[in-house]
Amino acid sequence: MDLEMVKYLSQLGKLSFTDEELEKMAGDMTDIIEIMDTIKEIDVTYDPVKDNHNVFLNDLRKDIPADSFPTEKILQNAVSSEDAFVVPKVVE
Amino acid sequence: MSAYIPVIGLEVHAELLTKSKVFCTCSAEFGGGKNSRCCPVCSGMPGTLPVINQTAVEYAVKAGFVMGCDINKFSVFDRKNYFYPDLPKAYQISQLNLPLCINGSVPIEYEEDGVKKTKNIRINRIHLEEDAGKLIHDDLNGVSLADYNRCGVPLIEIVTEPDMSSAAEAKAFVEKVALLLQYAGVCDCKMEQGSIRADVNVSIMKPTDTEFGTRTEMKNLNSIKAIGRAIDFEIYRQGKLLDMGKKVVQETRRFDDNRGETKAMRSKENAHDYRYFPEPDILQVNFTDEQLEAIKNSLPELPEQRIDRYTNSYGLSENDAKILVNSKILSDFFDTAVKTYNNPKSICNFVNGELMRRINLGEITLENLPFTAEQFAKLVEMADTEKVSKNDAKDVFREMSEKGGNPEAIAKEKGLLITNDLGKVEEVIDKVLAENEKAVGQYKNGDVKVFGFIMGQCTKALKGVCTPKVIKEELEKKLKSL
Amino acid sequence: MDITSLKISDMRSMLDKKEISAPELTAAYLERINSVDGKLESYITVTAEEAEKAAEKAQDKINKGEASPLCGIPLAIKDNICTEGIKTTCASKMLENFIPPYNATVMDKLENEGIVMLGKTSMDEFAMGGSTQTSAFKKTKNPYDLERVPGGSSGGSAAAVGASLCAAALGSDTGGSIRQPSSFCGVTGLKPTYGRVSRYGLVAFASSLDQIGPVAKSASDCAVILNAISGFDPHDGTSSRNDVPDFTAKIGQDIKGMKIAVPKEFYAEGIDEEVRNAVLKASDYYKSLGAELIDCSMPSLKYAVAAYYLISSAEASSNLSRYDGIKFGHRSEIGDSFNELIANSRREGFGEEVKRRIMLGNYALSSGYYDAYYGKAMALKQKIREEYEQIFTGCDVILTPTAPTVAYGLNENISDPAKMYQADICTVTVNIASLPAISTTCGYDSKGMPIGMSIIGKKWDEATIIQAADAFEKNFTRQNAAI
Repeated sequence: MDLEMVKYLSQLGKLSFTDEELEKMAGDMTDIIEIMDTIKEIDVTYDPVKDNHNVFLNDLRKDIPADSFPTEKILQNAVSSEDAFVVPKVVE
Repeated sequence: MSAYIPVIGLEVHAELLTKSKVFCTCSAEFGGGKNSRCCPVCSGMPGTLPVINQTAVEYAVKAGFVMGCDINKFSVFDRKNYFYPDLPKAYQISQLNLPLCINGSVPIEYEEDGVKKTKNIRINRIHLEEDAGKLIHDDLNGVSLADYNRCGVPLIEIVTEPDMSSAAEAKAFVEKVALLLQYAGVCDCKMEQGSIRADVNVSIMKPTDTEFGTRTEMKNLNSIKAIGRAIDFEIYRQGKLLDMGKKVVQETRRFDDNRGETKAMRSKENAHDYRYFPEPDILQVNFTDEQLEAIKNSLPELPEQRIDRYTNSYGLSENDAKILVNSKILSDFFDTAVKTYNNPKSICNFVNGELMRRINLGEITLENLPFTAEQFAKLVEMADTEKVSKNDAKDVFREMSEKGGNPEAIAKEKGLLITNDLGKVEEVIDKVLAENEKAVGQYKNGDVKVFGFIMGQCTKALKGVCTPKVIKEELEKKLKSL
Repeated sequence: MDITSLKISDMRSMLDKKEISAPELTAAYLERINSVDGKLESYITVTAEEAEKAAEKAQDKINKGEASPLCGIPLAIKDNICTEGIKTTCASKMLENFIPPYNATVMDKLENEGIVMLGKTSMDEFAMGGSTQTSAFKKTKNPYDLERVPGGSSGGSAAAVGASLCAAALGSDTGGSIRQPSSFCGVTGLKPTYGRVSRYGLVAFASSLDQIGPVAKSASDCAVILNAISGFDPHDGTSSRNDVPDFTAKIGQDIKGMKIAVPKEFYAEGIDEEVRNAVLKASDYYKSLGAELIDCSMPSLKYAVAAYYLISSAEASSNLSRYDGIKFGHRSEIGDSFNELIANSRREGFGEEVKRRIMLGNYALSSGYYDAYYGKAMALKQKIREEYEQIFTGCDVILTPTAPTVAYGLNENISDPAKMYQADICTVTVNIASLPAISTTCGYDSKGMPIGMSIIGKKWDEATIIQAADAFEKNFTRQNAAI
């Protein structure tokens, strides 16, 4: 796997690496992809219908609301302010 | 500019009116203190799982039916992966290859250059997904505050084919969709609360081109006006680019409502790689024919059917019928009024006349009327049966609009109620005739023109007691007998 | 006799006969943890105070005659199962201080049974690995040889059971994470049918493969725990509505006539000689009990490791995207913008193996590669399922080795992820096909390290694999762990 691809994947996964780490990752990924490539030799196609578990409309959850969690429990593992999660500014 | 043909496609997002969220049991109601309508599931905590809401699925199918869609009897949910702080799981549960509804069509009517036109807009698909949370920007501290109350509110996305070619068509389409969803009872379509909003795709092409031009996308437009302005600006901007020999770049642009312009977003990740894959936590949903039939049968009367009823059973003009039906709340008001007083034409006239006048003046709003449809119907009936004069009815209505209340009580209090008390009529007429001997004499001598004068005197004295018709009958009787 | 080495059934009768009290039993385990776990490093968190309280409560129930089968039994819980108010780390720096505001469904069920939770056991970070050496906190050792790995990812649970630091434990199994460490640590571990046990509160690794299950000293102990944790859960849409049978029901029934399939690919090259011989010897034993051995084949086994890693990593890359330091978990000090902060939080919070899986998963799903990798892997999953269905038309259970080797040295394999992945060949197809399987010790190698065999059952037929494993265990003497 080339460095460009490794960089692209690290961006997709929001992982930051040093150049050295990127090099090592590229090596690891090349070895791993080699194993994955064994499946290229077999010709099979996925059929979503075969994965049907026969769950029908009436089996789904009924639309009955229940109490939410106390706000402090939702925020207990976060940096919070004014009952909300604090997020650094988003660059668009 | 006219050298180009605009090609416009829409993605309309509508929040469904379920009681609970689509994947957890938190309330889906609008509002609430920040993060007060959250649980471990909708706030994306480790270990939690989504459990799908049956009513949300039914509502999406209803939306499909009212837009003429086919329903996939086997439907699959997928994950759409992207990082954004309003999306706590960093993926949105949505549908990619097997959405609930496909292949629909929505007829629209719109006006262009003063001409009324119609068109069918094809629906590519309608799928069910979850809404994201809200970010409140705190510029002072340079941070945002994330509120996840809206996370997991059920949302349908209605994707059209690129069948529209003007802002007018796009606006008409969104209005029609909003109307259909309201009639189906699946969305309140309150644009100001964001319960319906649209992404717009615009490209332009020359009439001789065989392929569409490069398109741009404007996301999250939340008013009909903004949709129209964004499209017009984008058609203009792209046309200018092409005129100058430049190229349109495929990108997401943000519409700035204050400036009326679109601007490219700075994000490097314009070309998103969403890495969709089947959501392993939600098993595929199947429908039996009976289940689909039952959903179809549970649909209430839809706009077209209602227009039919108004024109065929009630004898309203098509124009009047459309005015009523194009606002569900107005049409519902009308229907309730007709139940109280079965004279649709008369009620329609009063609705389109007095009621609309006060609404247009901004004195009252349909969402918050100070009187009931029953009280309104009563007033129309009183005017029709001449319990109040047509003119006085307007006075009574003004009072109802200001303070609310029962029209009969208001008319009585104001002395506008016509009792047709014949004893009193006779007494007053006798008195008027006695006071106007000269005129009576002229009348007896064949000067019939003075009848009007005498009638006028009587009417004045009998205001609120009796209708002019009765006065006229009684007066003629009296004069003949003299 | 050391009470901590007893099976649950024996403890039950001692508790019920008041030969020992629940607090005494708990104290015995806490004492043993205290003296031994410094070397073994199986627990990330020991909840001594809570355990003592739970034991008192359990004793009240016992005194009132309201004891259910697990009442007062001290259990350990893998640290990827959410425990309300008690930190649940997934052995990751990312969740070092994460305190769940809710209980996993299995925890609610076990607490209702009156169990005593002793603590949370170590594991490979986010359950990704087979050695427990990727744990950010406790790199657990093998109770039979402290220089060797306990297996993984439920290595803490298996080692704790093997060293009698708990009566039994819960683990989770995505590609062998209960069975392989059970094999390495000389204990019995059961991976239930997908959907049998609620996953609500199990921190997700690969949602379509993950399943919680018991690690215990015997198949019958596994059955008792499985009875307690199985069943439909309204919080898990993939949990089954099927009736839950009594998993102990077939224990002790004659296995004469049972058809046991032996798929040749599982005994081929790459399987250690001593392991192969031990499992084949076990198959001979079954034959001597009247079972019928059936030759069969699974041609797609050679693709299984790739299919497994593609599917599990794809799902993991998505499941682990929520760790951004905003809502919970490690939040970096560095980063002025959202993107910088989360990239730094993830850089600092995740270990190397987790990052590799995220990279692989994103690769498998990214545009242009989806069809060749993820799509193909999903198709192979269906093919492997079909091959199992075919085999099961002619047999009741399937017998395979649990791992190609016995537990290896602490520093072996770790630097070569590709080689590590290949070692999962014996276990991953069971997850891919959603089947139940149990691993029990069938022998020891020349160095005295335990060898495990796996008995794979038909979907929803845990009772039969428990019966088969129990039939073997009844006549097999386990060697005690060195520790």
